[in-house]
Amino acid sequence: MFEFSIFIIYPLLAAGFCYLAKDLRIQFGASLVIALLHLGLSLFVFLGFYQPHMPTYFAVDSLSKLFLLILSNVYFWVVLVSYSYLKRPVMPKAEGGKKLYFLLLNFYLASNSAAILSNHFGMYWVAAEATTLSVVPLIYFYRNEESLEAMWKYLFLVSVGIAFAFIGILLLALSAKETVPEEKQLFFQLFIRNATLLNPIWLKASFIFIFVGLSTKIGIAPMHSGDVDATSNAPSPVAALMSGSLRITALLGVMRILQIIRPTSSYEFARVILIVGALLSVFVAFVFMFKVNNYKRMLAYSSVEHLGIILLGLAVGGLAFIGAIYHTIYNSITKVVLFLTAGNIHRTYKSREVDRVASVLDRMPKTGWLFVLAFFAISGIPPFGIFFSEIKIFEGILFSDKPYVLAIVMFFLLFIFINMGKIIFAMLYKEGTGQHSREETERFELNHIVVIFLLILLTAIAIASPDILYRNIMNIANDFGVRL
Amino acid sequence: MENVLSILFCLSLFYVVVTTRVKGYVTVLRVQGLILTVLLMIPFYYHFSFYGIIIPVTLLLVKVFFIPGYINKIIIDLDIKRRIEPTIQQISFLLLVIATMVVIFLASHILSRSTGLDVIPFASGFSAIVIGIFIMMFRKKLILHVAGFLIMENGIFLFSTAVASELPMMIELGVLLDVFVVVFLMGIALNRISDTFKGFEVRHLERLKD
Repeated sequence: MFEFSIFIIYPLLAAGFCYLAKDLRIQFGASLVIALLHLGLSLFVFLGFYQPHMPTYFAVDSLSKLFLLILSNVYFWVVLVSYSYLKRPVMPKAEGGKKLYFLLLNFYLASNSAAILSNHFGMYWVAAEATTLSVVPLIYFYRNEESLEAMWKYLFLVSVGIAFAFIGILLLALSAKETVPEEKQLFFQLFIRNATLLNPIWLKASFIFIFVGLSTKIGIAPMHSGDVDATSNAPSPVAALMSGSLRITALLGVMRILQIIRPTSSYEFARVILIVGALLSVFVAFVFMFKVNNYKRMLAYSSVEHLGIILLGLAVGGLAFIGAIYHTIYNSITKVVLFLTAGNIHRTYKSREVDRVASVLDRMPKTGWLFVLAFFAISGIPPFGIFFSEIKIFEGILFSDKPYVLAIVMFFLLFIFINMGKIIFAMLYKEGTGQHSREETERFELNHIVVIFLLILLTAIAIASPDILYRNIMNIANDFGVRL
Repeated sequence: MENVLSILFCLSLFYVVVTTRVKGYVTVLRVQGLILTVLLMIPFYYHFSFYGIIIPVTLLLVKVFFIPGYINKIIIDLDIKRRIEPTIQQISFLLLVIATMVVIFLASHILSRSTGLDVIPFASGFSAIVIGIFIMMFRKKLILHVAGFLIMENGIFLFSTAVASELPMMIELGVLLDVFVVVFLMGIALNRISDTFKGFEVRHLERLKD
């Protein structure tokens, strides 16, 4: 019960506490303690120092251990920088949003942990929907027209999408009619063990519904629009949280159904759908990188691209599968770095338009250089992690039964890299219009320390390649029946 | 009995397609909620259990009183014009819906040969899901999008009674709570939208584009 309290109940209590405590600093302190406890325990669980025992509907396996660690890592850093972020001046209208900020963050942590730890499709659904509900008010933090529209679209699209996923879950129950899992409904493990008994027609239908429904939340094309709008208009810490952890939670649902479908005859069908979705996502990122003129939107499209790559790796299997799991880790860390630095730029220039941002390196050298490094990290330039995971994914695709997919992806990625580079270097080097006189040098803030630490972490994981992480990922691959 | 209620449910869908009044949607939501509650109450006619009554009672409260009442309140507060402006002619919409329902019923009949399932509740639920999506596509007012979403949710509920023997109670309550909070947030968002944009139609939401 102790672990369950730390993962889910304490965050909920902290949310209640944040409602009662009016002072922002106290709210921040409480949230930080909860985040630290969460991070510590999930690290302990991941390292195997602690064997958690969960109540019914919850369980821990290799996959949930890893995803829980990704979540608490992202969450901890986001909470840590949130207070300095909230102290920044905003429009008077937006002051009201601050009161609920930490409450919603805590609620988000509780619901997201519940979604990751659930071992029952019904529980997963309820918790995943709760994550949407906790994030939606945060998107409307700035209280302006754009964020209002983004909130409405995200809420609506994701609610409809997740309703689709519910239909998929019901169809999954239908596929188990007259077999063993019918007795104890909708537990992941039972389905995985009896996967071959399931009715293939309903299983395929279920896969389509769950995949399409959750892809609104993952941000897989063609359902990505709500997600892109939301991430680009939310405040930077929230955007980092969404890109770094929320999308992955939704991905977990798709991975669960993939795990069920793998030993059955419908696997080929599911793979083709995933590959099409993945290629479409990379294609969408490729197209929009040509005309995007808002740098946070650019980062959101980069998320669409990278989730597409992860999905591609999962679908192709083999070495690409291992690469995809590594990619989820690296991508989530890099996205936090990118959004936090982009948030700094937004604060100074008061605009998200690329045209209004010039000579960042001159005006804010620290953020500027970190932004360059983050750009290198996301583009897969060594020594940052994404380089290693992408190599694995590409090698896996090359030696799979569909090597031509690699050519298509490489072509798209090349242009995405060129266009992102063009935009970012224009922001960094382009001469300003001169109206900004050079201000006092940029102060070194907590924000920068977090970003530097995360960049070091990103490189360290990739280079040191800890044995425990490798073994855990091999366990996941084993659960999915992936053979190298 | 399930079949009779499902057919009634389908009729309520036809009404929602032809009505030109916003209030009509609220009435249909109430009626559908009532049908679903009665559907869940049927087993208690044979053997009553105090524990099992929680779900139908919650359903009654949420789907018949809270949600339609809340939507009604939004309509009155925002003074939304009572007539709807469709983007598609009523008669062609009706024909489209009839054609869709025929396809769904035939398809479920064919599918029922391979798996044991109750065709009529299954097909009615699925029709409601599709019609809910149609309403979101073909209506301009955002409040009707919310109604379309709820009709879809009702469809899913009916569908689930046809498909799964029983979801665990905790999960079922969680689902109801989630739906309620979604509608609540949508209501708040609608209030803000009408304040900010001086209107509540889809055309007001076209700022975010690439």
